[in-house]
This record gives sequence, C-alpha cells and structure tokens, in this order.
Amino acid sequence: MGRILFSLLLAGVFALPVFGQSLQSRIESYKLANGLKVILLEDHDIPNVALYTFFRVGSRNERPGLTGVSHFIEHMMFNGTAKVGPGQFDRNMEFVGGANNAYTAQDMTAYSDWFPAAALEKMVEMEADRMQGAAFVPEVLESERGVVASERRMSTENNNAAILMENVNATSIMAHPYHWDVIGWMSDILSWKREQIQEYYKTYYAPNNAVLVLVGDFKKSTAKSLIEKYYTPIPSGKTPSAVTTVEPPQQGLKQVLVKKEAQAPLYMAVWHTPSVSQPGFYPLSLLDKILMKGESSRLYRRLVREERIALDVSGGIQETLDPYLFTVFVEAVPGADLGKIDRIVEEEMGKVVREGVTEKEVQKAINMVQNDFYRPLQTIAGLANALGQAELVNGDYQKLFSLMESYKAVTPDSIKAISSQTFTLNNKTVGNLVPEGGAQ
Amino acid sequence: MKRAIPVLSLLFLLLLPLAAAQPSRGMLPLPETIRLSNGLTLFYVRVPDLPLVSFRMVLPGAGSAAEPMENEGVSSIMAELLTKGTSKMKAEDVAEALDSLGADLKIYTTPEYMAVDADSLASQFPRLLELTFHSLQDPLFATQEFDLVKSQRIDGIKAIKDNAGYAVRLYFQRAYFGDNPLGRLSSGNETSLNAMSVEKVKDFYKTRVTPRGAYAAVVGSLSSQELKALLSKTLGKWKGAGSPAAPLPPPPQPKGKTLILVDKPDATQAYWVLGAPGYSANDPVTPSAAVLNTLFGGRFTSWLSTELRIKRGLTYGASSRFQTFLSGGVFTASSYTKNDKIAEMLDIVFSLFEKAKSGFAPEEIESARNYIQGQFPPTLESNEAIAASLVQLMAQGKSFSWPDEYLRGVSSSTPETVQAAAKRLLPAQDYVLVVVGKAAEIEPLLAKYGEWKVKKITDSGF
Repeated sequence: MGRILFSLLLAGVFALPVFGQSLQSRIESYKLANGLKVILLEDHDIPNVALYTFFRVGSRNERPGLTGVSHFIEHMMFNGTAKVGPGQFDRNMEFVGGANNAYTAQDMTAYSDWFPAAALEKMVEMEADRMQGAAFVPEVLESERGVVASERRMSTENNNAAILMENVNATSIMAHPYHWDVIGWMSDILSWKREQIQEYYKTYYAPNNAVLVLVGDFKKSTAKSLIEKYYTPIPSGKTPSAVTTVEPPQQGLKQVLVKKEAQAPLYMAVWHTPSVSQPGFYPLSLLDKILMKGESSRLYRRLVREERIALDVSGGIQETLDPYLFTVFVEAVPGADLGKIDRIVEEEMGKVVREGVTEKEVQKAINMVQNDFYRPLQTIAGLANALGQAELVNGDYQKLFSLMESYKAVTPDSIKAISSQTFTLNNKTVGNLVPEGGAQ
Repeated sequence: MKRAIPVLSLLFLLLLPLAAAQPSRGMLPLPETIRLSNGLTLFYVRVPDLPLVSFRMVLPGAGSAAEPMENEGVSSIMAELLTKGTSKMKAEDVAEALDSLGADLKIYTTPEYMAVDADSLASQFPRLLELTFHSLQDPLFATQEFDLVKSQRIDGIKAIKDNAGYAVRLYFQRAYFGDNPLGRLSSGNETSLNAMSVEKVKDFYKTRVTPRGAYAAVVGSLSSQELKALLSKTLGKWKGAGSPAAPLPPPPQPKGKTLILVDKPDATQAYWVLGAPGYSANDPVTPSAAVLNTLFGGRFTSWLSTELRIKRGLTYGASSRFQTFLSGGVFTASSYTKNDKIAEMLDIVFSLFEKAKSGFAPEEIESARNYIQGQFPPTLESNEAIAASLVQLMAQGKSFSWPDEYLRGVSSSTPETVQAAAKRLLPAQDYVLVVVGKAAEIEPLLAKYGEWKVKKITDSGF
C-alpha cells in the first residue's frame, strides 16, 4: 500500500469517504477503441506490479455438452499461442521473477500476474498475445483434459461437501446455467471437441469483453503506452449473446438424497435469492453473517453449541449477475439426525421472518463486513482483484467505494422484508448426504 | 483454479521469514522494541495506510511438541478453550464481543509454539487486545466448554477421514514421526481424546503459557503512545508461571523404507505423501535449498509439476516443500492421480530425485533465483505479514536483517551449491511413503516398491 491513503490518519478514525476519495482520485480508467476497459493505479510501496485480466465469461455462458468449458479455457490459456510455446508463458514469467494464477467463476474468468516492476513490458506483451492467440494444440489439449478430470475427481468426487453442493444446486436451479458447477460434468469434460472450445474462446475472449487492471510500481504514462502498443492491434469481437434464461419460480419443496462412503453426514438447504444488483441482496448478505459467521451467530450457537448436533455451519449469499442461492451448509456430527437439523434451521429462519433481527445484530454484521473489506486492500494484488470484480459484478469499479454505503443502508426491517419473501417452503431445496447403507 | 501448488508467498512466510527491496532500509521495517517487565518482548511498526491493526504473538515451548504422547491434542484444545470464557465473561459473551468488533482472534499451537493472531479495524483494536489479554490471563476452562470441544474433536477425526487428500497428511505425519514430539497431531487421536480431562488442559496451561520468553508484534495505524497506554492496561499486567521450555529433540531420521497403504474403498484417486529428512531453520543450506525446492516442486513449472501435470496430465497438482524446525527438518513431496496411474506417477517421482542429484542447468538456477527474489516483496506487504515475520524471526533466534542475508544467499547460490543441496536433501533409500486410495485397485500396482503395511481408513487412529 502506498502513502496514498495517508489522509486517513488525519481523519483518525474509520472514514470511508476519505478512503474512497484519496484512492479514487489516483485511479485512471479509460477504454481503448477496441473496447478494452483499462483501470490503472500507481502504488510504489513494493517494487512489484499486479496485473489482472477479467473476461466476462463463466459457467453462466455455457450450455449442456459444453459445461466446464470456461474453466478449461482458463487452463488452456497457459498452454501456448502461435508466439509462445506450450508451458512457455509460465517459464518466461517465472524467469523474470513473476508468478501467476487464474480462477473461473459462474460470471467471470480472471487471470492474475504478480511480478517485479522490470517485467512490466514482457507481461503486458504476453497477456495481450494470449487474449486471442491461444493455440489449443491437440496433444496439449488432451493432456490438459486429464488435468481437469483429475481436478474434478479431487475437488468434487472425492469431496463429500462438494458432491452434496453439486446435487443440491442442480436440484434447486433447473433452467438457468447456474444449474451446473463451474468445473462441469465429467462426461462433458471427457467429450468437448477442439472446434467447440475454439468457437467458445473466439466468442468471449475479445477486448470488448475484458477488463485490464494494473496496480503497483509503474508510471501511468509508461503503462498506458505499453497497453496501447500491445492491445490496440487486437480486433474487437461481436458482442456475445445475452444469457436470457430466467429460472422459473419454484413451486414446492425439493429434496435430494446423496448416499456415499462417509463417516459424517452432511446437511444443506438453499433458497432462491436476488442477484447482486436487485433489491434485497445487501440485507441478505448481512443476514448470512448474523446467522452463520462467528461463534455468536444464531445458527452456530444453536446447532453447534446448544444442540451439539453439528461441527460447523457455513454458507450465505454470493455476488452473482443473475439470481442465485442463499445457502446453509451444516457439517453434522457422525450419527446426527439430519431431520432434526432441518427442523432447527426451519425454526431459526422462521424466527427471522416473524420477528426480524436486532439493530445490534445488524451493526455487528456491518463491522464484520468492514474488516473483511479493508484487509485485502493492503496489497496490490488485493486491490487489483477488488477493482476488477467491482467492475464486472457491480458494473463499475467505482462502486467499490460506495459498497460500504450499501451495507450501511440496511435496516432490520429490510432484512425482515426480504426474508419473508425468501425463506418459504416453496422456495427451498434440502439436501442430505448420508453414509452408504445408512438410514434415510 | 489453475494451480494446486501451495501459495508460495505463504510458504515463504512460514518457513523462510522474509525480505524485500531497498537495501538501505532492509527488507523488514525496523521495529521499535518494547520490553515488558513480565518478560514479553513486543515489536511495533506503524503503518498508517489503512485503519487496520494486526497483532501476532508466539510463545516458544507452549506448542504441541510439549505434549506427552498420551495427551496428544491437549495444547490445541487448551488454545481453543482460551477464548471460551474468562473469570468475568462466559464463552457466549466472549464470542459476542469478538463478533461485535468484526475482529478475528485465533489462538492455536504449532509443534514449537503457541500462537496468537488478532486482527481488527484500528478503532476496535483496544477492545480486541483487552479481550486477548483476558483470554490469556484468566481463562475459565469451564467443564461444559471442555466437554463440547472434546466431543467435537472426537467427531472431527471421523470427518477428516472422509477427505482422502486431508487424511493422507495425518497418516503421513504419524508414520514419519511416530512418537517424536515434533509429530504430535493437533487433532489428537481417539485414545488420547477419550482420556482427555479438563485437569490435563489446565495443567498444560499452567506449566506452559507464560509471557516470559514470548514475542509479540503490533503493526498498523495505531500510534506508539496509544499502544503503550494500551499495553499498560493489558499485556503489561499479564502474569504466568510457566517454565522455560527444554530444547526439542531433532525430527526422526528414517532408515530404510516405510511403506503404508490406507484402504479407502470409495476413492477414485490415490493420494500420496513421501517424506525424508530435511534441514533445520538455521542451517546455512537454506538459500540453496530454497532454490532447489523452487525448481523441484515449489512452483508451477517445477519438475514435479512439469512431468506429472503439464506433460502427462496425470494430476491437478504436485509439489514439494521443506518444513523446518530449530532442531531439524523434513522434506515432503505429494500428489494424487487416478488409481490406475499411481505406479506410473511414483516411478517418475523417484527418477526425478535421481536426476536432480546430477544437477540443474545454469539457466534453471537463474530462473529460480529471479523467482524467489521477485516473489519476495509481496510476502511483506500486509500488516499481518510484517507482524508474523517479526515474531517468527525472533522465535528462531534470527535477526531482522535475516531476510536480507537470505536473499543475498539466494543470489549467490550456484549450480554447484544447489546440486550439493539436492544430494544431501533429496531421498534415496531412506524414506516414508504413505498412500491413501482404493486398495483393491492400487495394491497390485504398488507391490513392486516393497512390503506395504495395509490399514483400513475405518480403523481407529492414523
């Protein structure tokens, strides 16, 4: 972090508007003619740069047969272009002292590079090259298919919590592409055709569908001319078609049972919720802290401490472009009665609907959000990620600076109102994972 | 996610505390040192950028290695119970107070020390430090809270076994360390947990938890005057009668091969960890070993990752690391693959050990040196990272300029020093290998490596 936020000190206390102004005024943002959005922030505290590239593509843009392909392309972005051979991106980058990672979510794919300042041109050049240059060399593609299959086995099939979540989400959401997990179905992973993957890549990997964020030790003028040099030649693509499927209202309780080799049973419940831009999102986001974050939260206290029927409780609502789910996930004690857990969860949600929450609980949740909000902003990587996500999910990076205002506007009444719409039996899906051969 | 390699910055933070850019200042900001009359040494660095404060503390000798084997898990239970009520506050009140601040307070043990991590907004820090102090000074150890934690731990062991990738690490730790104190499982074991009592927990607390010899650091936007005023009301008043810790024995030096197969019939992949002796925290081989591990299994283009993942698609992740203690260390490599590929994978791993001993190319050494140097500054970027480095360096008997010395050592490492490190530190005949997977499919493939001891995942213990 730079001395850029020094003004905070003068304020002496937590003061978001000051924080926002001091940082915001140092950010420069513009669009290239081909549609690439650029966000730049100089920060000279450490001699490094964080370069993040976000594409507006994720599992939300997929279709049956091509599930998981967004995540697979994320892998193939490291596997060669016409100019840079397979694996060379990583070798080049590590040689100049850089490291990288990437992630795919429902609504976005993000590529993150962290490197010493001297490597800036090399990294901008390589990132621009792979924006449209990925080669999808057939034998490399087959090898990487094996890697992703292994990833699915590890992260989903050999993970009871993930298997249950996949089943519950797919039961709750029947029409919208959030129906499947980001990793995709195994049979799709094993069957994608090279041409299909390339077509998908061509559709979504274009400057007009991307956001470039640079934070760190560089001169803005230098960064701008490098971006100009390497990105300007990339042609813009056709605007990808909108995702038009709307999840129809659920018309009754859904239930799903998973039987698996297990010593500990698992319980999960989900309810359909608003998207990040719809009314009700922030009240539900605070409610998830009131219910599940910390040992004083309502569900933790009840299930783990009082009833001693659970080892842990987690879940909540996610920032998504389309309506998604509010999740309650319970790691039950071995031998626990999952029906009892469901009755308790139902009771607690009922209390919120009928009696609401207190002013004190809302303030507590806001304090938690504040702490979680600032901590990542200590690092150039955390800043780059937060700015990019705000641009993609909230539609404008500047919303990052008013995010806390959205939370502070939440009242106990607004939580109660959205809860009574959300936590109904007709809107609920319950999943149980029980040991193979165990009782239902 | 593209990577399964453990986040390197974190790894460096834990194993090789630190360094960054301006040589005049040193990688770490030089802290103000405050010595309290109770024996606690506290380091303070002001970082005014954001309204945040981080606190880190280590108590050498109050870690899991101080547990007798029959009380395995007691230090971890004790640490958890410290935040479950004081003479003035019930457990619920402590939880309510911490959550209301939006703060994080974690107390836990590693083999060598007990650690306290506390982070909050600057405006909430005085209250957070006060709660931390009361947790350390007046813990209640209520029977009811103890019973809850105990039953959770017993159930928790069962839940761990549902996740092969996690369970294999505990099976390995038990197989490698046996009853060596550095290998205590923080989870405890069925026998020790069933015999656990609140008296044993209190006893561990009384004999081990003391400010004498402890190191703490405060990094953030708090002013020096504010901190000192706060200390006089909190940690300055902390008393403890614990005795200085005896030095720990070195970790085991396995002789010959120990092969253990844990049968998990529903596993669709086989998970393995292989371990052998490493080096101690103060060993001069450290920089060369860091270059070696970077090349062998410490980054995405490492040999392990290149051969197992990039070229053959056998796995999502493969990596290696050196874990260091004051008295010695352990090298581990680990990965996982489809059941029918396990032998193909292990053959490659063994061939890479041999290949590494015949040396790395000069451009590989250069790449690893650049990589370590280039990735170092971000490991000291946040308040919590600086605070953790300060206390860990002191607990290891190092100076605050150690990161600079370490980075100089990295720059001056050569193909020769790295090859010498490989010959000394990569396994040959003496190692421990643990595999968790579906025995019906993998046991025939593993037979060629020697005699395997086969366990069932449902058997008691690890």
